Amino acid sequence: MKNIFVIAKNTFRAAIRDRILHGILVFALLFILFTVFLGSISLGEDLVVIRSIGLAGMYLFGMIITIFLASSLISLEIERRTLYLILSKPVSTLELVLGKFFGLFAAIALITLCMAAVYLGVVAYAGGGFDAPSLGAIVLQIFEAGLFVAMVMLFSSLATPFAAAIYGILVLYIGHSLSVLLQYVQHRSIALKAVAKALYYIVPNLEKFNIRNAIVHHMPVDVGMILLAGLYALLYAAVLLYLAKQLLAKKDL
Amino acid sequence: MIEIRNVRKSYEGNPVVDDLSLTVKTGSVFGFLGPNGAGKTTTIKMLVGLVRADGGTIKIDGHEPHDTPSREQIGFMPEDPYFYDRLTGMEFLMFCGQLFKKSYRKTENEYGEILKLVGIYDAANHAIATYSKGMKQRLGFAQAIVNDPAHVFLDEPLDGLDPIGRREIKGIIKKLHGDGKTIFFNSHVLGDVEEICHEIGIIHRGKLVYAGDVKQFCNGRTLEEQFVTAIEQERNSSMLTL
Ligand SMILES: Nc1ncnc2c1ncn2[C@@H]1O[C@H](COP(=O)(O)OP(=O)(O)OP(=O)(O)O)[C@@H](O)[C@H]1O
Ligand SMILES: [Mg+2]
Repeated sequence: MKNIFVIAKNTFRAAIRDRILHGILVFALLFILFTVFLGSISLGEDLVVIRSIGLAGMYLFGMIITIFLASSLISLEIERRTLYLILSKPVSTLELVLGKFFGLFAAIALITLCMAAVYLGVVAYAGGGFDAPSLGAIVLQIFEAGLFVAMVMLFSSLATPFAAAIYGILVLYIGHSLSVLLQYVQHRSIALKAVAKALYYIVPNLEKFNIRNAIVHHMPVDVGMILLAGLYALLYAAVLLYLAKQLLAKKDL
Repeated sequence: MIEIRNVRKSYEGNPVVDDLSLTVKTGSVFGFLGPNGAGKTTTIKMLVGLVRADGGTIKIDGHEPHDTPSREQIGFMPEDPYFYDRLTGMEFLMFCGQLFKKSYRKTENEYGEILKLVGIYDAANHAIATYSKGMKQRLGFAQAIVNDPAHVFLDEPLDGLDPIGRREIKGIIKKLHGDGKTIFFNSHVLGDVEEICHEIGIIHRGKLVYAGDVKQFCNGRTLEEQFVTAIEQERNSSMLTL
């Protein structure tokens, strides 16, 4: 337990000191501020534009940052042999994987909250008051990031950072289009249907974490659904982290 | 005591360590020598549990290296160590120390003492990215002794150090020996090996060629001369059998 915390703390510290991350984050914050301008030229639809583009931007930048930080999390440690220093100490591979996961997840949650603070400020400035419903979308985004960190971490224990990033983007894309995909293949060949079905069961259904549209259009937020999505992320991430641990334990360093 | 019995390891079908048996007594300074690619690093990685042997057994004070809790008593400095560039030397050493139950509660002062011992205290709060090769080597040494281990494994600890650094590290190794620690180290700097080791093992193409007393091996010549002769003999005899 103690070791998980020590490794998490160290991973968190190394992650938030990344210069490239600082660059992306500044860009993301400027983008969110920029929605004020987009709102002002939108003929009375200010808040709709600010909220939809703001939430989407926050999501997009959150995932870019996640891919960027997670894709090299394990492979770089193997390549640079920093793992030698850790795994020759009384640290199990499970502790290592969990420590790295929680450290990076904490960093990404913090970054998401930074963006959210600016977003809430922008909405208030544009006359929208405190945008409480958007908190639901932000919480879901953090859940999704947790699942996604675990996924990219697993890729990162298998492949180079570049390949891990590409796989991550693919999962993100497919994971958000599963229901569309199923509909699309309904009247197609059996083989295509089988592939779609397989994807549907293997790739996480990331649309469970997307209520951005509903929120912008003032539909009610279902708290139970948010909690259920959190549970889904938790279970999914647990399986992915277990696989990452198994892979790492088998590896000759 | 370190006991290696009939240990084998191959990579992609090529034997890298071949039926190695070796005993290192508690409290001795043991030098593990051999030409490049002989299997020294692979052996040390098996000793600290980073690589699994294909066969044979390794026991360190009766524990297998893969037994995680028993690593409380082990220190390891890898060859050409690499660190997290964005951390400072002090942060990194504290991180390492906190991974041991033994040293979890060490204070910043105590970590500072270790950095002083290895001579990088002045750079304690600088990012590791700014360290020179020799400074990284010293930090690598510091993290290997952060938990005050009974067994210290060092993979070429003197590599990349200036003469003063070499003398300092040798001094620390002698002091560790005085404290009753067992030290197992790989090195190519045979003059230093002769100076600080009591016993040596020589490995060539994964096979043990010699294990025993240094003085006996030298037989009046320098360790380097004898080493070169021994390796050349091995090469010639393996040519004959081909
Ligand atoms: N992960 C690996 N995969 C494949 N081959 C490996 C691996 N690690 C080591 N080898 C091979 O095993 C042999 C022994 O390597 P090792 O690093 O143990 O040598 P060494 O005695 O430490 O050499 P040096 O003095 O150059 O450090 C080499 O031929 C090397 O190519
Ligand atoms: Mg080596």
